[in-house]
Amino acid sequence: MALIDQYLDAVAAQLPTEKREDITAELRELILSRFEAKEEELGRPLTEAEQEAILQEIGHPLVVAQRYSGGPDSLVGPELYPYWLFAVKAGLFIVAAVSIIGALAALAGGPQTFGQAIGQAFAGFFDGAFVLVGVITAVAWSMERWGGKPRWMTDWRVKDLHAFTLADPARWGLTGSVKAGVERPSGTVKPLAVKVSAGKWPGSDALFGLIFGGLFVAWWIGAWEWPWGGAFELGDQLVTVSGAPVWTALFAPILALALAHMAVDLMGVLRPDMVRVRAVFAMGLSLASLALAWTIFQWGHWFDLTAADGAVAQVRGGVELLRWDALDAIDRADRTLAGQAQVLGTVLSFVLAGFGVTLVFAVLGDLAKVARGR
Amino acid sequence: MPVDGGLFEAMRLELRRGSLVLAVLACLRTERYGYTLRQALAADGLEMEESTLYPLLRRLESQGLLLSEWREEEKRNKRFYRLSPAGSEMLEALTAEWRRIGASLDRML
Repeated sequence: MALIDQYLDAVAAQLPTEKREDITAELRELILSRFEAKEEELGRPLTEAEQEAILQEIGHPLVVAQRYSGGPDSLVGPELYPYWLFAVKAGLFIVAAVSIIGALAALAGGPQTFGQAIGQAFAGFFDGAFVLVGVITAVAWSMERWGGKPRWMTDWRVKDLHAFTLADPARWGLTGSVKAGVERPSGTVKPLAVKVSAGKWPGSDALFGLIFGGLFVAWWIGAWEWPWGGAFELGDQLVTVSGAPVWTALFAPILALALAHMAVDLMGVLRPDMVRVRAVFAMGLSLASLALAWTIFQWGHWFDLTAADGAVAQVRGGVELLRWDALDAIDRADRTLAGQAQVLGTVLSFVLAGFGVTLVFAVLGDLAKVARGR
Repeated sequence: MPVDGGLFEAMRLELRRGSLVLAVLACLRTERYGYTLRQALAADGLEMEESTLYPLLRRLESQGLLLSEWREEEKRNKRFYRLSPAGSEMLEALTAEWRRIGASLDRML
């Protein structure tokens, strides 16, 4: 089949049946005209590569077909986007609140451990968030295509806008030490009774780091357990995941590093203005993390998978697995204990390598902070 | 401070987008098929991608501003477009609006 036919087939497959013939006939005519003009310029027939270059200039079949569709070319257009964003933010806030309240209730009245309650709250939040974003996007998508908007979008009054100010994190005490807000010419309009402030508190990243660091340390020293008990089903038997000796050997350095991270984060919470000092410490910690990650990488043996019948397979990784054909091999891996160990080893090798790259960027980012002081 | 090339390009495209319909309508006072229309636009300094031009022609036709006809020329079937009576009126109205905007901007710039 000629290139032009392959291209037009790909476009035609995306078009409505009733328009397909007409549009592809016109596109064919355009393409042939382009081919002829180029042939005339070169004084010879075009090679396949030259024809392909012209087709690429015309555009990818999916893009070309979409332009002919005449409908909206985005899930949520610019007119609806502010409403979509507000609904998502408000919905996520409510889902998070419900998850936290649920976790507290489970801790207060149920037999669950702290770890189980936190794990269920996270799982509940992510499940709820996915459904919420999906439903809101589907509603916006249908409004984009078939029109129709609720009355509050088109027929609103200023006195009904109070609910929208709740989107400001400062209203919930989450930010506020940075002066910001709406400036008005003095003496012209009576200031709003509601104090509006915005902007991100510079210590917020450090606070989140401190909380997650605390959770990690609690888990690392065994103060609470992740509800997923480190086991999964493979075929008809349960496979248990256990750590390799590397984690026992590096227990103390990892704990020390996590505590040092928490100390730096605490500094960020208490003195967010000390950007340079914090960046120097953070840079040192990133370099130490990089060395630790490299040690783990070199170790090679990270976990053991133990089947119910006593069979054991080692999850091993290393530089030799950072290849495309190793990723390809994931698809072909069989559902045996050894096959799953190989898949996990490959995935973890890439995750660890990605972590290393992230740390390098973190060091560069901290260097920039040291230089700029912000 | 030098002009940010990427930002300038984005703003240039935005500025130009509104003028494309007017240019296409003006060019189709003379009957043309897609390829020659694109060449005519380019000759007057308005390059337009095929993937933008052809769907635009269909949209203008579905809005009743253009008429089209398949006809054989140089041993190939081609779709020829020309301005419809409603298209001529629209072109006149849009031209007046374009000149009004141009005059306003000239006073400001």
